[in-house]
Amino acid sequence: MTAVPTPSRTYDLSFARWVRENVEGGDKLNMCMQCGMCSGSCPNGQEMDNGPRKLFMMVRAGLKDEVLSSSTLWECTSCYRCYVRCPRGIPVTTIVQHLAALAAKEGYAPKNKVENYFFSKAFWWSAESFGKTDERLVTMKYFFSFGFGEGIRKALDNLKIALGMIKAGRMHIGLPHTIKNKSQLKAMIAKAKELEQKG
Amino acid sequence: MTFVERRGTMAQDGPHSQTIAVIGGGIAGLTAALEAAETGYDVILIEKEPALGGRVTRLNRYFPKFCHPTCGLEINYQRLRKNPRVKVLTMHEVVAVDGEKGNYTITAKKLPRFVNEKCTACGECGKVCETEIDDPYNYGMSKVKAARLPHEHAWPMRYVIDPVVKGTDDQKRIEEACKYGAVDFSEEEEEVTINAGAIVWATGWRPYDARKLETYHYDSSPDIINNVEMERLANHDGPTGGKVVRPSNGEPAKKVALIQCAGSRDVNHLPYCSMICCLASLKHAAYVLEQYEDAEVHMYYIDIRAHDKMQTFYERLKVDPRLKFIKSKPAEIGLGEDGRPYVKGERTIDRELYCESYDLVVLATGMEPEAKGVDIKGDVVKDEDGFVLALEGEDGGQFSCGVAAGPFDVALSTMSGTAAALKAIQAVGAR
Repeated sequence: MTAVPTPSRTYDLSFARWVRENVEGGDKLNMCMQCGMCSGSCPNGQEMDNGPRKLFMMVRAGLKDEVLSSSTLWECTSCYRCYVRCPRGIPVTTIVQHLAALAAKEGYAPKNKVENYFFSKAFWWSAESFGKTDERLVTMKYFFSFGFGEGIRKALDNLKIALGMIKAGRMHIGLPHTIKNKSQLKAMIAKAKELEQKG
Repeated sequence: MTFVERRGTMAQDGPHSQTIAVIGGGIAGLTAALEAAETGYDVILIEKEPALGGRVTRLNRYFPKFCHPTCGLEINYQRLRKNPRVKVLTMHEVVAVDGEKGNYTITAKKLPRFVNEKCTACGECGKVCETEIDDPYNYGMSKVKAARLPHEHAWPMRYVIDPVVKGTDDQKRIEEACKYGAVDFSEEEEEVTINAGAIVWATGWRPYDARKLETYHYDSSPDIINNVEMERLANHDGPTGGKVVRPSNGEPAKKVALIQCAGSRDVNHLPYCSMICCLASLKHAAYVLEQYEDAEVHMYYIDIRAHDKMQTFYERLKVDPRLKFIKSKPAEIGLGEDGRPYVKGERTIDRELYCESYDLVVLATGMEPEAKGVDIKGDVVKDEDGFVLALEGEDGGQFSCGVAAGPFDVALSTMSGTAAALKAIQAVGAR
């Protein structure tokens, strides 16, 4: 008789419960029947390491580190196809998005690895600061998230596209777009953050 | 009580009718009607189509033994022929039911057949008729003359004429062709009422509308069909004479995909498991493997549900290397650039994304109860999915059997038919 095998991965069996209690829509996750409709429907599925179906199975198995550092969280574009098609009515998009937010908070979104994390941050920075997204500022902020040298390189690589867009009137020159009454937006965001803190 | 006394209650409008009305002449309704009649009760069997047999008469084979459904129906028709207690009303569509145990009033719409009981099924009217309609027997996969025998196994063996010919030259030709005075175009649609002491709902099912499965693009190609159409395709009196071919061009359908849970087990469609589809699809795999040596059949599934003894049937087919099982609910089906349908999704065993082309894609659409839209009052209810259920603990006179009561296969439908007959007898007989 050979020895009992030692698992090569760490399984945290309390993780599924944690997801159930802390992730929005996580209480529906136990409805998943592993049919593959979500991953098969995902327009960005090829870019994902796991896809939502496998990710959900990994949550059940307790593969905490693998789940929270999965590229699936950051490749989701919130198109909601998986959500509307899920035969068990699981809010797939909501779960994936909230897992991404929690993963970032827990420090599972390592620099130089998760590009979409940088993009999300740049997007949010613009939305929070001006009440609108400014295409130039979001792009620049995103490029320079990778470091100064890399930022310059990425900017030069995309110069031609940028000039083309300006010529076609798809990118404006001048001050950033802003909304009126920015203070109201700031108050709203502060309130939302306060509510989030309360849980 | 003697039989004579019981017979006296037939069609009586009194408050304590002992007649049992069975709504639906499929395998479950036929069974219920015959079982009740053979114990000495008067039965009115109400069928909305021109012939009995329902969905079963349209099947090619039964699982698991691959025998012909016509055989079982034939036995029932012989019982019917021998038993004067069953009164069969075809082309009667029930629209409302009212009343209580011992005194129900059934309102039915009587559709014109334009052919009376003098018909000998000689076929002369069909020969002269030029108008063609989509053949309802073949789910519209082929054309048929407007004056036709519903199918070769029809009971009653009597022609039916589609109302489209009324007032056309065809009407004259048909009237002149009939030597027996059986054609009667004066028939009109009318409302009739039927009295009964107990009612058995055996209204059966219809395939879930595949058009509602938006991502499966049923209408994009004639090579994407549903499971009841596959039965017709394989049947000797079907649109292709029994050859499983691509409906688009008639070429052999050697590479076939069978898609499970097309509409079933889905909160956006039918939330329940339709129970028969896995086995029906295994049967379809057998049709293809039987016809082509070099066939390739892929069955896409969430999990194979071969209930109770049917597991053996599944195990038996599983050994054929030409039949592959792919664990995945396909996300998308459509018409590819090569003119063949494709199936796209994620294989859940190894998380590979696939896109595969086929000659023929068969959607295993689930069973939807046909009783939707009928106004039922009193001691039965329709559950949230539309199945008819007798109210538990109620001393009522309405019962259900077959797929009207739940997603059953043929064996369970006949058993529930017998059970419902007993309940109906208890309801009208207990004095």
